[in-house]
Amino acid sequence: MKRHRTSALILASPWILTFFLIWAFPLVYSFVIGLTNYRIFSPEQFDWVGWSNYKQLFSDQDFINALKNTFIFVIGTIPITTVISLAMALMVNRRFKGRELFRAGYFLPSVTSMVVVALIFTNLYQRGGYIAMLASMVGITPPEYGFLYSNATALYSIMAMDIWMSAGYFMLIFLAGLKSIPDELYESAEIAGASAWRRFRSITLPLLRPVAVYVLVINSIKSFQVFVEIFVMSKGKFETMTAVYFVYETGLTTGFESGYASAAAYVLFAIIAVFSIMLFAVMRQRRPVW
Amino acid sequence: MVDRGTVAGKITRYLVLLIILAIMIFPLLWMFRVAFMPPGSSVSLTALFGGAFTGSNFADLFTEIDIGWNLFNSAFVGLTVTVGNILFCFMVAYALARYRYLANKLLFVSVIVVLMIPMHILIIPLYILSVKTGIYDTYWALILPWLVNPIGIFLVKQYIETIPPSMEEAARMDGAGEFRILFRIVMPMCKPALAVLAIQVFFTNWNSFLFPFILTSHDNLRTLPVALALFQGHQAIDWQHLMAGSTVAVIPVLGLFLFMQRQIVSGITAGAIKQ
Repeated sequence: MKRHRTSALILASPWILTFFLIWAFPLVYSFVIGLTNYRIFSPEQFDWVGWSNYKQLFSDQDFINALKNTFIFVIGTIPITTVISLAMALMVNRRFKGRELFRAGYFLPSVTSMVVVALIFTNLYQRGGYIAMLASMVGITPPEYGFLYSNATALYSIMAMDIWMSAGYFMLIFLAGLKSIPDELYESAEIAGASAWRRFRSITLPLLRPVAVYVLVINSIKSFQVFVEIFVMSKGKFETMTAVYFVYETGLTTGFESGYASAAAYVLFAIIAVFSIMLFAVMRQRRPVW
Repeated sequence: MVDRGTVAGKITRYLVLLIILAIMIFPLLWMFRVAFMPPGSSVSLTALFGGAFTGSNFADLFTEIDIGWNLFNSAFVGLTVTVGNILFCFMVAYALARYRYLANKLLFVSVIVVLMIPMHILIIPLYILSVKTGIYDTYWALILPWLVNPIGIFLVKQYIETIPPSMEEAARMDGAGEFRILFRIVMPMCKPALAVLAIQVFFTNWNSFLFPFILTSHDNLRTLPVALALFQGHQAIDWQHLMAGSTVAVIPVLGLFLFMQRQIVSGITAGAIKQ
């Protein structure tokens, strides 16, 4: 047994090391420096400042804006992505010719890198670009310098792209959930004379609930951290500054305010944690919320 | 469910499906089209169906813009990290699946961590850590932290638990050493799970931007997505070349996707169904 214990430890060591070095230590470390005015490139002026970074954050208009934009992003994309991906899953769940082709096509954006997608949409959104043309066709005047150069449209344009990109991914997860619902349930409901809508309401939706919780939680943790598309498409300008972008800008560009940025990251962490717990609580209620 | 709709219903359904398909693949088609437009020509909307084609943008990428290094970095880092994950996730998963007392605690902690800690909040401490340890701006920073991942461990552990331990016991009776059993007997049996793992790790790594971006600064160390993201905004680079570079970044994953769709799908859905 002793020998086994040692070999088990050796085998598990890659994860033990990674866990402590990449997760546990940085997590504690950034909390600690969040209580200081530490700057990585000027370590000579180092003081404990207690909670004052946090106090300062909540009077920092840039940070408040970043949080506001992050919330708009999360609240605006998640419900739409969830509904669209569920609808797509229902459509390609039935048997018909070419089903595999549609599934693959819908999923295609999800295997592409976010950088590439963001570059393509930067082109599509530009002044005189494809989407401006489509907008004029339906009678909407596109912003003069392109969709990404206007306070009114930049963030929403990035959100639309995000929905386009992740719908196929969550469709796959919903499909797996649909597959786990036994056919007999539908058959007996049909024999009992239940309409298609009724079968959807009373069988599909309740049984998909665990998968839906998973989709919502995964998507919100991902969306609260939105960064890459902002970096590529707008650099946080035109009201697109998000929380992680704020952390990046204050902590890893001019100034390198490591302490202040770490505190900001912790505020985001707390928000994500509270949001996820609330999501679990709401979705766990007996009475269906939908 | 067998489809019993009317002909009109069927046509409507196919129409809706096709419209969605068009929306989903149009941006990628547009990327391919722009990549083949002659440099200097205006990226005009009508060009989607007509206009000239040229492959010279791709040649320029490797001669003038020099993304060869970036492509090499992406491939080298991607493959190394994938091989590392196959080996290390398997080792850890085996320990968790077969040695019970370790399993409960470790797995519990790692799964909670991965589900609840959004990794982007760690950019500041990981940046500082990489600077202080000296791995900042080296290949080590692109490889070392990512050699094992909890979702991968979880995936392989689930699979190992479906394999009856009788084979290992028989080998042990014959006097085979633990590591021989591990790599000669158990590992080959885990091939399906390891394939899923490999695909998922390679995709994630190939497409990843944030950490390769903040942990390096030399142009020579940039992976392809980082290089592309930084090209944007350079006045010197036009859309034709940017889209050609994007095409180069997308082709390998598209190819893998076409051939290994089943593994990709099971990798994504494993987490959702298992909880």
